[in-house]
Amino acid sequence: MTLAENLFENLRLELRRGCLTLAVLAQLRQEHYGYTLRKALALRGLEIDESTLYPLLRRLEAQGLLTSEWREEEKRNKRFYRLSGDGEQMLGQLLDEWRAINTSIDNIL
Amino acid sequence: MDLLDRYLAAVKKHLPWQRQDDIVAELKANLEAQLEDKESALGRPLTAAEAEDWLKQLGHPIQVAARYQPQRSLIGPALFPFYCYVMKLAFFWATLIYVIVIVVQLATRTPSQMDVLAIVFRLPDGLLWTATWVTLIFAIIEFAAFHCPGKFPTLAPPSSNWLPSALPQIDGQLAGGKKPRSFAQAVAEVIFGFLFLVWWLLVPQHPYLLMGPGAAYLHGLPFQLAPVWVPFYWWVVVVNVAQLAWRSAGLIRGNWPRLRTTQTIVVSAIGLIPLGLLFSVPDHAYVLLKNPALDQARYGAALTSINLSIQWSAVAICVITVLRLAWEIGRISLDAYHKRVAAMQ
Repeated sequence: MTLAENLFENLRLELRRGCLTLAVLAQLRQEHYGYTLRKALALRGLEIDESTLYPLLRRLEAQGLLTSEWREEEKRNKRFYRLSGDGEQMLGQLLDEWRAINTSIDNIL
Repeated sequence: MDLLDRYLAAVKKHLPWQRQDDIVAELKANLEAQLEDKESALGRPLTAAEAEDWLKQLGHPIQVAARYQPQRSLIGPALFPFYCYVMKLAFFWATLIYVIVIVVQLATRTPSQMDVLAIVFRLPDGLLWTATWVTLIFAIIEFAAFHCPGKFPTLAPPSSNWLPSALPQIDGQLAGGKKPRSFAQAVAEVIFGFLFLVWWLLVPQHPYLLMGPGAAYLHGLPFQLAPVWVPFYWWVVVVNVAQLAWRSAGLIRGNWPRLRTTQTIVVSAIGLIPLGLLFSVPDHAYVLLKNPALDQARYGAALTSINLSIQWSAVAICVITVLRLAWEIGRISLDAYHKRVAAMQ
């Protein structure tokens, strides 16, 4: 990887980081377990590595933005996540912020 | 799949023990679901090579486990600027103290070549220990701040305990219309201050540094210095070390363009102490005869003349120092008065 490519990759990851949290919170307005969440996001054009998504779910839950429960589905125990009350409020605020940033960027461009 | 179980077991080893079973169970459910999808898409189980490629894509077990750990750092970003600042100061003081100790040692005995080598190689060792201790202390503070966040509220920058008006002046904007000191001037002051200190510390062992060739005749002279010169000598060392430290700290902190009035006042005030010592000498006997009984008649007049010269020199230096001190204190008072008047308007 050249220096420019490396720099682009770092900046891209930085740009994506906040957006991923927003996407995960938004997608978890419906209940999902890790793998189906990943598929649902990929279906909408947002690919996320397993090693990024699954720890992110844990962090968001620890921050009180998600709730989770173990449940059996198709003869297998799975951990299902859903947006919590605090998470919904946070998602609303983040979406407002994201829209404002988008508008500003559009205006600048 | 055996390979997946082995992969999960490897991940588990690097997870926090309180949560490892829970995390691995969740990861297993997710990966097994993913594997099922892959196999149903292919219409057959994965081959060993395909399974290996898939697990490689997921990432090394250590990396995967690390993602579940909280972000950890020995010294976090909140504390790091203070750490760098303290480290710079610690290096400066460690070097200064080391140099002073070495100079005093050199002044009291003649070093061999091995001694000189040992001195040179001991400095990096000392600096390494300084860095170790500073890092250890900050790591403990970071650990404590992380585990008891409520008890260390002031660690997070930017601290609210700072005043923009206390920031150092920039070139050409010094209070009272004083000309700012250039960087070269500030560096020269430190270098010459250091050289003076070294020279001063070497003088007792090597009097020729003060008196030149005349030092060879010292033993033949009927005079000797009074005991008061010993504390006087060490007070001069103290004054110069204080001044050197202050100026070096100014260089490190970047506020060298202005010579602080406080610094001038304190150094002048300390400078009065050795002069006070000289005035406390009974009959102003700064120089004595080695053999008064034998030499009083012959050298008595010369001795009185020498002591009077020293006394008047001390008086002149004292008057200049006191006037300078009064001037600086007066200037501070006037500045404070002007500020108060400006604030009232």
